Amino acid sequence: MVTRYVGQPIRRTEDLRLVTGAGRYTDDIGGGDHALEAAFVRSPHAHARIADIDVTDALDVEGVVAIYTYEDLEGAAARPLPVLIPHPALHAARTAYPLANGVVHHVGEPIAMVVAENRYLAEDAVARIRVDYEILAPVVGIDAARAAQHAVHDDVPDNIAAHLVQQVGSVGPAMAAAPHVLEFDLTIERSCSMPLEGRGVHARWDVDDQSLRVYSSTQAATSVRAAIAAKLGLSLTKVEVIAPDVGGGFGVKIMHPWPEEIVVPMAAIRLGRPVKWTEDRREHFVSSAHERGQQHHVTVGFDDTGKILALDVTFWHDNGAYTPYGIICPIVTSTQLLGPYKPGAYRVEFCSVYTTTVIVTPYRGAGRPQGVFAMERTMDRIADALGMDRTTVRAVNMIQPDEFPFDQGLIFQDGRPLIYDSGNYPAQLAMIKDMIGWDGFEAQRAEAAEHGRLLGIGIGCYVEGTGPGPYEGAHVQVMTDGRVEVAIGLTSQGQGHQTVFAQIVADELGVPFDSVHITTGDTRRFGYAVGTFASRAAVMSGSAVALAARAVKAKALRVASDALECSADDLELISGVVSVKGNPTACIPLGQVAVLSNPLRYAFDEAAQAATQFARPADPNVPPVAEDDEPGLEGREYYSPPRSTFASGMHAAIVEIDPDTSEISIEKYCVVHDCGTLINPMIVRGQVHGGVAQGIGGALYETLAYDEHGQLLNASFMDFLMPYATEMPDRIEIGHQETPSPLNPLGIKGAGEAGVIPVSAVIASAVEDAVGFRIDAMPISPNILFGLRVEFAAGRVEPTAVGRARSDHADRKGMA
Amino acid sequence: MKIAGSAVVHADPARTWAAITDPTVLATVIPGCEVLTPIEDNRFALTVALGVASIKGSYSGEVSFADLVEPSSLTMRANGSGSPGTIDTTVRVTLTVQPEGTTRVDYDADAVVGGMVGGVGQRVLAGVAKKTAGLFFAAVDDVLIGARPVAPTQALAEAAQVAVGGGPAALPAPAAVSVLAARRGGLSLIGAAAFGAISMLIGVLVGARISRKAR
Repeated sequence: MVTRYVGQPIRRTEDLRLVTGAGRYTDDIGGGDHALEAAFVRSPHAHARIADIDVTDALDVEGVVAIYTYEDLEGAAARPLPVLIPHPALHAARTAYPLANGVVHHVGEPIAMVVAENRYLAEDAVARIRVDYEILAPVVGIDAARAAQHAVHDDVPDNIAAHLVQQVGSVGPAMAAAPHVLEFDLTIERSCSMPLEGRGVHARWDVDDQSLRVYSSTQAATSVRAAIAAKLGLSLTKVEVIAPDVGGGFGVKIMHPWPEEIVVPMAAIRLGRPVKWTEDRREHFVSSAHERGQQHHVTVGFDDTGKILALDVTFWHDNGAYTPYGIICPIVTSTQLLGPYKPGAYRVEFCSVYTTTVIVTPYRGAGRPQGVFAMERTMDRIADALGMDRTTVRAVNMIQPDEFPFDQGLIFQDGRPLIYDSGNYPAQLAMIKDMIGWDGFEAQRAEAAEHGRLLGIGIGCYVEGTGPGPYEGAHVQVMTDGRVEVAIGLTSQGQGHQTVFAQIVADELGVPFDSVHITTGDTRRFGYAVGTFASRAAVMSGSAVALAARAVKAKALRVASDALECSADDLELISGVVSVKGNPTACIPLGQVAVLSNPLRYAFDEAAQAATQFARPADPNVPPVAEDDEPGLEGREYYSPPRSTFASGMHAAIVEIDPDTSEISIEKYCVVHDCGTLINPMIVRGQVHGGVAQGIGGALYETLAYDEHGQLLNASFMDFLMPYATEMPDRIEIGHQETPSPLNPLGIKGAGEAGVIPVSAVIASAVEDAVGFRIDAMPISPNILFGLRVEFAAGRVEPTAVGRARSDHADRKGMA
Repeated sequence: MKIAGSAVVHADPARTWAAITDPTVLATVIPGCEVLTPIEDNRFALTVALGVASIKGSYSGEVSFADLVEPSSLTMRANGSGSPGTIDTTVRVTLTVQPEGTTRVDYDADAVVGGMVGGVGQRVLAGVAKKTAGLFFAAVDDVLIGARPVAPTQALAEAAQVAVGGGPAALPAPAAVSVLAARRGGLSLIGAAAFGAISMLIGVLVGARISRKAR
């Protein structure tokens, strides 16, 4: 019986280590190396010119070793940080200097770095550094940025960093010819990833070797390495970057190089001692990255069946003070807004604008939640206008199963055509309706209303482009003791990579699961990689490890066939043993095959003796290593797809609104999702649960409250509300659908972001259904809902058509 | 790295010149000074124990001087090394008479700092240099107005003799020597060289002792 690991809910390999305190996070690194610690002077103003920096009083703090400002940066480090993803539409990209060069553009921007014997002393010194500022006008919020009374950057007077229009078909005539047209605005507030572990850097300069080793809590170790080498003028061969255990990323740690990732290694080189920095929570709030803030204006033309004939979306994206990550988020919004639908004509236009606030880079979903919110609210409005069931309208617009591959006619965030490879949206719709009890809900709502309870049901559908390239690779090596060492280039932040990739290797190679060891995010082990983002690790690295394992298996059979004196076709590799099919006694353990694959002169142990020159007779005319071969039992393969592969899903929820407090509780939450082949169903379930939790946080609680001076008012967990277990529904029911991807060997699609993408749309849909008036802005907290309900009761807010119809049948409950 | 500054002392240029060219005075007002040895004319060896708290060390250097125009100006060249790092500096010093019998001392230094101390950041180096130059001149001023006693030759070595003195914080037995009786001639040149170089050396390597004195 051959054990298949892929598809099994195997317990995670990394968990025992992590939950028993044996994890090694960046702050744990270098326990005995007496590293110096860094702390930063960060701007307390949203927009200011720096007139003077006086460090005199800081010098009195015993234990202070160094203080750096912009003047201490040299060469490439004295130039602005890179624009990671340039784009022709990003006509006014601006990035920060690693330490402020005369001007600061947001609260939290680093101005000076203090290095001291420990963090306490460094912070004492930071507190004594006096900076003279000339306050400049802040620009906060999309409205202020658009009005452009003040400029964030002097040379960008209109505050517009980028402007992009994409269209398919002719929206103008189609809209004019449409029987019905609706026009409305939708708003989503800022939120952020908020991983449990913040950012951290530990840098060590080896003076003997003249080489730099940097540990960073990053999602992109290879790219951080390249950036550090470039900025510090080092050869790539003299820089190694390792992402150790990382306590969550959720997108924010894909941004790089942080200023700290440049200046902390710089200090380590200059001071000849290891230097480390671990951010505190406030630093994470004001100097990492945010996302989600957008304002949308939607015009939709449709016919009597609910079919969209023309869709015109204009939106404004708040990108904060700089654009180091380019315009990926608004591009994702623009393209993923289409979801599982095929509107007749589509035009999307966005402006990405500067504000004197923290930078905006991807957070789980990366623009998709906003796009899905726009499209799904549009679907609900169409249904309301026509008096149709909300799922019927969606079904009318869906791409059908026989229409794949479906070309949406746009360019996706990977620079490739937006072509959906596979999917079955109508089947998902049927499944989600069944799970949530869609058709029987009206009876449920009526019965609840009789008891004074306010229920609502909502739905949200999405399509997610996953696994963008350009590539990922894997190295699989069988050691002489039979262990299989695997290295992949991208990183892990809790996705269970050490488990799922071992499952794939175990299956593809034919070895016990426990014999496989996976290393991620270490440039010493694998040097070419892109990073962990956009739900791509399983697709990209999963495919690469499969290919590498297959290559190793082929070689193992070839080497073994030589030793067993038979054809490779007669051999099989099962549970780490190569044997002749039908004759299990004629076999070689895989470790021994590894020994034989490397012709030796010197045997370093007893097992190795079998590979030395006198151990076996050899053909004197054949070289020990053939011309097209290499010593060793290892394989290195890369997977590079022509474009992304498209996962999809639908969520539905039943919410209850407390009639007195407007508290929103989620009574039932159902998820149907399709991520192709599931490597480990338990891990996928975990991904969905976590994503839904973040989605609920974004729908109901999370917002980053900037005041008009650019001060972040809720830069702590006291006031930035994240959901507890008490805010989550008791159960999240998950239904699976698998339409394998035709683009990779295992048929995998990404699952990392699925849980979060449609949640705001679903909650808005459900709340609107419960209260009978429009929900156009998220998050919708109980106090915001309370206020809206007061306005509604006073007649100052229009009901939806459904709401009006319902209130005609029942008494509207008055508000105290 | 360029550092410039000035200080005012309460004496005329002649008395000021005499004080800052007197090695006895210098030994008193320079913290951390262990050795002051003449090598030859206009050349002087100096050892000080200084350093930022975590970069302590003994620093041995040489100073030489040129362009002497008594009592108005001179140029100092100092270089040396220690475990904290290395320094090479040239300092231009000018004395200008002021009303009410005071003198303004201007210094203009160009320094190249290397090694670990060189890596601590320009603002640290400049801040420390200015701070300790200020302390130095305040101490010189104290001597000139008679508020600070001057120890006889404790830290001054003649010819090849090296006096390894006690710590700078401990002033020797109280035998006040009037500054006005300071020797002239060769020693004045030595003192002059020492003055300029030392202010730069101090500027580079701040001691915990200096920090404490500042409070």
